[in-house]
Amino acid sequence: MSASTETGSPAGKTWKSKEEFLGCVILTDWILLVILFAVLLGSFHIHYMLLAGDWDFWIDFKDRRMWPTVTPIVAMCFAAAAQSFFWTRFRLPIGATTVVLALLIGEWINRYDNFWGWTFFPINLVFPSALVPMGFWLDIVLMISGSWLVTALLGGLGWGLLFYPINWPVLAQYHQATEIDGVLLTLADLIGFNYVRTGTPEYIRMVERGTLRTFGKDVVPVAAFFSGFISMLVYFLWWNMGKWFSTTKYIEIEEV
Amino acid sequence: MKSLNLQSMAKCATARVVRLWILGLAVAGALTTLPAATPAAAHGERSQQAFLRMRTLNWYDVKWSKTELNVNDEMELTGKVHVFSGWPQAVARPGESFLNVGEPGPVLIRKSAFVGEVPVPRTFSMDVGEDYEYKIVLKARRQGRYHVHVQINVKDGGPIVGPGQWITIKGDMKDFTNPVTLLEGSTIDLETYGITWTYIYHFFWMAAATAWILYWFMTKGIIVRYWQVKAGKGRELIGQDEKRIGAITLAAVLLAVLVFYAAANREFPRTLPMQAGLLTGISPINEPRSTVAVQFKGGSYTVPGRELRIRAKVTNNGKEPVRLGEFTAAGLRFLNPEVFTTRPDFPDYLLADRGLSVSDSNPIAPGETRDLEVIIQDARFDIERLSDLAYDTDSQFGGLLFFFTPSGERQRAEIGGPVIPKFQAGATL
Repeated sequence: MSASTETGSPAGKTWKSKEEFLGCVILTDWILLVILFAVLLGSFHIHYMLLAGDWDFWIDFKDRRMWPTVTPIVAMCFAAAAQSFFWTRFRLPIGATTVVLALLIGEWINRYDNFWGWTFFPINLVFPSALVPMGFWLDIVLMISGSWLVTALLGGLGWGLLFYPINWPVLAQYHQATEIDGVLLTLADLIGFNYVRTGTPEYIRMVERGTLRTFGKDVVPVAAFFSGFISMLVYFLWWNMGKWFSTTKYIEIEEV
Repeated sequence: MKSLNLQSMAKCATARVVRLWILGLAVAGALTTLPAATPAAAHGERSQQAFLRMRTLNWYDVKWSKTELNVNDEMELTGKVHVFSGWPQAVARPGESFLNVGEPGPVLIRKSAFVGEVPVPRTFSMDVGEDYEYKIVLKARRQGRYHVHVQINVKDGGPIVGPGQWITIKGDMKDFTNPVTLLEGSTIDLETYGITWTYIYHFFWMAAATAWILYWFMTKGIIVRYWQVKAGKGRELIGQDEKRIGAITLAAVLLAVLVFYAAANREFPRTLPMQAGLLTGISPINEPRSTVAVQFKGGSYTVPGRELRIRAKVTNNGKEPVRLGEFTAAGLRFLNPEVFTTRPDFPDYLLADRGLSVSDSNPIAPGETRDLEVIIQDARFDIERLSDLAYDTDSQFGGLLFFFTPSGERQRAEIGGPVIPKFQAGATL
């Protein structure tokens, strides 16, 4: 890591040497990074579990319509807020990538320890949605454009559009057809049926419910465009949310 | 003030503090991940309100084909369920239901499920007042001793848990296989299918994200960037070189997405959307109408004595005399020892083999109508919290009465209605 005092750092008599000062800065950077990552991991994970919930928990909830609509929209909240923080305060083009990585690490710990380790659900039933390329997209659009407005419009749309293609490489294998007792199922359906979930009956799945029947089987692009459109709006709101809370004024020490 | 905050933070960041941080994180990690969770032994069936368990689904003839299995062995959980005519207004009707299993995680997997002759991997519809026969084929997956219930989930009504039995599974889960034949002809093991690729794909992207974050973090970190932005030099941090790196990275990411997507389509050219939908028109049990008619005339529950007394007018419209042998509600069975001379095979905690008596034990002759007082008394009534009926908002009981003829024929009759709680010992109807 490179660091300098070119901006007129507060290095003064407190430190014995410039090297000691730089060492402190770098160490503090690492501590900040770890803390930030942990905070984002915890908070985004809770947010995502509450709002995406079953759509992200189970393979047999990942349909062509509701899942690609809901999941990117709720994931956009933290991505936009984190971008606002990392970009406006540090010019770091890593906000969205950091939060989706933090989320995925948190989810994998949860899925492996809790879902598999404690309750024995196989990983192919409970793996999370992949979001990382969407994070790259959002961060790099912001970095190249330097505009949160462009990022909201272009980045938000791409965020929604990219979601399904990113996840399809893993999902496709579970959409192969099989048959059980004369009933046609995909492997995803069958995994959900085989591995008993006492509190998750089949009827709570929202598989292609709604009124997009006019589009025949091509419902993913429609869902993705809709998701992208709503993600734009969510981006505006949560960029400002991030901006409002990217401050130390709540924790400053006041002399009394 | 802000620079002072940073200054004091930096001063605190000594090697000792860092070591303490690492130690703290390690301890926190160990505390949250290492301790083994104790296995769940029950599924909250007792916590459901008594009126709900008694007046929704009445389970009978429940059988577990085995109680000891090895990993990969199969067993059948079979039985019948009566959808109570007086379905409580507080619970949604079973227009959308799902045949389920109450067990602590998928320790047994559900290979197939039937209601009547119809396979039900999906949601199905039941009609109030009817009886249905079900069969669930289970395959042992994880070693241990587990309480396994039949259960039907009712949309907007919640899970309604039937009787449970302890099932012992021997062996090791690592030997478990779940072979499935695809429509295109090949056979896979669903237990592990696709997991390695899922790990690879996810960790590939996570590694890429980590590299991207560290690249930017390692060039000027966080604090120096903050100072530069604060000093109005933010634009200098992202120049043409940085944008070029970003553009190249984005191009590589999008190319990778495209390649992975195309590869998936090439490898799996025939895929289907997930299948869902409501199965309607499932036929109830096709049995002759019961020849015994029962009319509820009143009832009481003596809380200290754990005694339910029911007055009923019973009419025998059959050709043989009948005797009341059993009352069942909420999975519990109360037997009349004068009729049941041998103890049936049923979980002990649900079987009160001397829990039922009648005021007049003489057989009811064909064509005869008789007023009977039925006394149901057993500690299980209280242990299974059916005595909480006295505290429910809808203090009506419900269940099935089974009458038997000398030739062994069984006639069932639904009974239910309001009961008056008696809180004093010795109180009578």
